[in-house]
Order: sequence, then C-alpha cells, then structure tokens
Amino acid sequence: MCMEHSSNLPPASRDTFSTFHPAVTLLYFVLTIGTAILLMHPVILCISFIAAFSYTAHLGGIHAVKRSLIWVLPAAFLIVLVNAMFQHRGITVLLYLPSGNPLTLESILYGLAAAGMMLAVMLWFQCYHAIMTSDRFVYLFGRISPVLSLLLSMTLRFVPLCYTQFQNIREAQRSIGRDFTEGTVLKRMQCAVTMLSILFTWAVENAIITADSMKSRGYGLPGRSAFSIYSFEKRDKRALCWFLLCGFWISLTGVTGLMNWTYYPALNGIWLHPVSIGAYLCYLALCFTPIYLNRRENRIWERCKSEI
Amino acid sequence: MQKPVKFITAILLCALLFCGCGVSQPIDDETAMQCTISINCANALVYGEELPEALLELLPADGVILEKTVVSVNDGDSVFDVLLQTAQKYGIHMEYVDTPVYNSAYIEGIGNLYEFDAGDHSGWMYSVNGEFPNYGCSSYLLNDGDAVQWVYTCNLGEDVGNVYGAQQ
Repeated sequence: MCMEHSSNLPPASRDTFSTFHPAVTLLYFVLTIGTAILLMHPVILCISFIAAFSYTAHLGGIHAVKRSLIWVLPAAFLIVLVNAMFQHRGITVLLYLPSGNPLTLESILYGLAAAGMMLAVMLWFQCYHAIMTSDRFVYLFGRISPVLSLLLSMTLRFVPLCYTQFQNIREAQRSIGRDFTEGTVLKRMQCAVTMLSILFTWAVENAIITADSMKSRGYGLPGRSAFSIYSFEKRDKRALCWFLLCGFWISLTGVTGLMNWTYYPALNGIWLHPVSIGAYLCYLALCFTPIYLNRRENRIWERCKSEI
Repeated sequence: MQKPVKFITAILLCALLFCGCGVSQPIDDETAMQCTISINCANALVYGEELPEALLELLPADGVILEKTVVSVNDGDSVFDVLLQTAQKYGIHMEYVDTPVYNSAYIEGIGNLYEFDAGDHSGWMYSVNGEFPNYGCSSYLLNDGDAVQWVYTCNLGEDVGNVYGAQQ
C-alpha cells in the first residue's frame, strides 16, 4: 500500500514549492500534519482535508484524486462504522443496538472526525512523498546522523525497488515456463517458492552492496561533504518566516486552550472566538501556500511568454 | 463432504453473531412481579474533583439519575435485565460489556458517568434490599418486592456502605 501511494503521484517537477529549500518544505509538512493530528477541531480538520485533497489534485491531476477516492471513501466509512459499533458514550441516544448498548450521535461524529483526520494525514503524506524525495531527507539529516538517514532512505526505497525486482523476476521466470499462475497446485507452489528465494537473495545482496559502496566512498567520515544543489535564498527566508508566524499563532491558540474540542459525552468547544478565527485563517493560508506559489509562478511565466 | 461442513460453519457463525443479543421478553401482567429500581450518583459529585468539566454540567445536581421507580419483572429476570429495560424505557444512557469469565454483564457507565471517571477506585455497584451481592448483576435473579439500587462508588464500595474487607 505504501508503494502504491508513493508512486501515485508523478515526480513533482513542475511544482514550484518543491524547488524550495528542504528545511522549508519539511517545516510546511510538519506544521500541516502536526496541527491536524494534535488539534482534532472540526474546522481545522475540514480545512486540512480540503487542502490535502487540493494539493494532491494539484500535484497529480484529476487522475490522482480518483485513485485516492477509491480507497478514501471505503476507509472513511469503515472508521465511522467501527467507532459507532464499539463506542457508546454520548448524550444523544439515536437507537439501541441489538446487544442493548446505545448508538449515539456523538460516537458517529467522533468517527467522522477521526476518519477525516486519518485520511487528511494520509493525503498529506502522499504529497510529502512526491516533494520530500530521499535526497532532500538525507541532505537535512545526513550531517546529524549519517547512519540513521542512510538506513531510513534505504528502507523507504526498498519497498518500490523490491516490487520492481519482483516483476522482473516474474517476467524472467514466466519466459522459461515457470509461472505461478499455471499448472498444478504443487508446481505453482514450487514456482512461488523459487521466486521468493530469488527475491530474498537479491534483497540481502543488494543491501550489502549498497552499504559497501557507500562505505567505499567514505560516507559518514568526518570532514566529508556531500553534493547538494540546495541553497537558502531570499524566497526561502520569506517562506520560512511566514510558516513560523502561522505556526506560532496556531500553537499559541492550541496551548491556551482556545481550540479545545471535546466529543464525549457532549459536543463542546470554542467555535467562534477572535483568536481561534485568526488561527483558522492562519491554517487555511498556511495549507494553501504551495498552491498559491504555483499559481503565481504560472502567471509570471505566462506574462513573460507573451512579451517575447 | 465439503458443503455440509460449510453449511454448519455458516449456521454456527450466525448463531455466534446473535447469541450476544439480549431478548427482552414482553411483560406478562398476570405473572408479573413488582420491583423497585433507583439509580444514584451522588458520591461522584461529592468525591469527584477529578470529574471532567463537561461531565459535571451533565450530571443532575442532587445525583439522582432515576428516582425509586416501580417496574414489573418476569420470573427469572436478573438485575441486569431490569436495568437494561428501565434504561431503554426512560431513555437513560447505559453501556455494559459481557464478561464470560463471570458469566455476567459488567456495567461500564450509566448516564455517561463511567467507571474510573472519579478516580481509580470508582465505578457502578448494585444492592438489593440494602445488601451488596458479591457477584455479577446478570446472576442475581429477582424476587417479588425486591428493591434494586444502582449507586456510584469512588472507593470500592466503602462510601456506599459496602466495606470490601468485611466481605472476605
């Protein structure tokens, strides 16, 4: 599933935001995802879900949205259903389940909120994978902990690589008449086991070779620098300040309890307060910043083109 | 050979699915007995400084969730059956779980006041005619004229007059 999602979006080559400094893009995702997880406020969740969906559509087109919807809707339904079945708190009893326990409005609403939060976070991570490529990740954390960042990047790369290799092995085996979809059960099992054995041998060998080749290049030795093309420009500074400002306002609102929201036993929370309205607007602006940047870049591009 | 096995498995699964459902029998007036039931959470209000704020607003000020009410019960009805019927009749929120080890239902919360809401030693207990039986509420079968009380305790029953150590 992880591989499916990471390959769901094309490499974000035309996305302006992905050309920003990795620290800025990482801060963006930390703020958007962190806010959605820590403050389960309905307004924040709505904004987060819509923004995550828009950004996914922006990066991968309408096709990516369709592919996401196929798993988003059943997953949301399942979460709501399970929560309503097993959580019976809440003051508004709608009806009684066959067991005698009540089905409450609050448990359904909490299920909806939990589903919205989980799906928004999954969509955010889809965008994260398209923008924060492993070289950016290694660039940011390679100096702090070379071993950990190499391990992480190898692990994250392993799943899609393994899948590709499995397809290759399967094609090769099929061409010599050893496909696991044909023949008797015993023969099929034999073929499958052979292919798994080939795959494991390759995976172990590949890991050793990668580690050895990194070692022979002196990866992680003191004084050794790594090539990178990331520079911290004026626009990065501006974006960083903007993100920090938004993040500061949102976290201040969260810490002072102006964004508290309880679902059980009764829906209760601060809905309209000048500070929390400010925080909603901050989060909205924060989430849509990359889309705004892209739009602006496109407009500049169009204007320049017509003048030539 | 395979088909009957599948069929039996399916039937067993269906039976399993429904065996948890309590069937509330219609009350037959001629053989009906009279019992009284009351639900009280005054202790939670007295001891419960740890109660969540949202809950304090919800609970009745005097702690009476249900006043002493006369209900008709069938022969063989347990304390749990009466609580379930009364809660549904008066629209009182109640949640329970079945604990197969004790062959009884365990009342987790009534009126959105749950076990552990007022400290580690808090929860719902029941007494019949002023005595606290030391077993599950599904195992206590009622007799005519029994007075059932559901009370909330904050220290394993001491505050409602059931000293835990004295029962040993």
